[in-house]
Amino acid sequence: MILSRALRIAIVVAMLGLVVTLALAFRRDPHDIRTGTVGKPAPAFTAERLDGTGTLSLSDYTGKVVVVNFFASWCLPCAQENPALVHVYERYRGSDVVMLGVVYQESRDSARSYVKRMGMSWPAIADDDGRVALSYGVFGPPETFFIGPDGVIAGRHIGPIDETKLIAGIEALRREATR
Amino acid sequence: MRTRVVIAAALLAIAAALVLAARPHEATADERVDRITTELRCPVCQGLSVKDSPSETARQMRDLVAERVREGKTDAEIGAEFRAAYGDWVLLSPPITSWSGLVWLAPLAVVGAGFILASARIRGGTPARDAEPTAAQLAALRERVAREEAAEG
Repeated sequence: MILSRALRIAIVVAMLGLVVTLALAFRRDPHDIRTGTVGKPAPAFTAERLDGTGTLSLSDYTGKVVVVNFFASWCLPCAQENPALVHVYERYRGSDVVMLGVVYQESRDSARSYVKRMGMSWPAIADDDGRVALSYGVFGPPETFFIGPDGVIAGRHIGPIDETKLIAGIEALRREATR
Repeated sequence: MRTRVVIAAALLAIAAALVLAARPHEATADERVDRITTELRCPVCQGLSVKDSPSETARQMRDLVAERVREGKTDAEIGAEFRAAYGDWVLLSPPITSWSGLVWLAPLAVVGAGFILASARIRGGTPARDAEPTAAQLAALRERVAREEAAEG
């Protein structure tokens, strides 16, 4: 055997590296698809409010913890997560925490009736051309983004979110802000 | 003589046609939109490009690409906008420089390592010739052959 010892070791190390890489890749939760937006400044947007009272800009909430939730009335998991959103909204109402809803691929009329029916009293915006969803890298509703007072997206949740995760995400950002 | 002139003229015409066909031409806006959306993955589909997908998300992405082309953005700038939102995942052919490039590099590395291993075995693995038998071994062998021949009659 004329293969040098160093070459043999190099091959074994390369193989081990490949196995470890694949093992790490397969361990990842397929729902945790990391888009490019997490850890980066939240894409700015200005859009019409769903209730027709003018426009709303993300920059209006600079310095606050912002929870952006993409939803639609045709999305069953959105209805499933809605009670958690309502509870958390009531809990932080009037504080430094803001909740924003973004309508995902739906007509304004049906979104309005859904918002009313589900008791969503936080501001919601229409995203008729999908530009807000595309800029956040949304795959489909429901998706929730946690934006810190510094305007950076600190976290993202795909699928229906529960109260515990919402509060944990918000409190982590509030703690960071008071440091 | 005349035949040669005709053949030469025909060859010239073919060459001219090839040069004309191969000359670089500026892509139209629609061609650019098609080219860019062919390379983008539809986020809500199974392995379909944005160009081929009939989904609403893909339609919105096509509209956005068309708008960016009208604004004079380059293909790279438009691609970068989608990569910023969706990561390299949104490209149907991920760049080889990214982490996902491992998908392309790993098989090549494995094949290369296998090739090195196999060639080393072929070159160095030939069994050494046995040493020449000693006189005693030869004598014993001859004796055994003679014995077996005698036994066979």
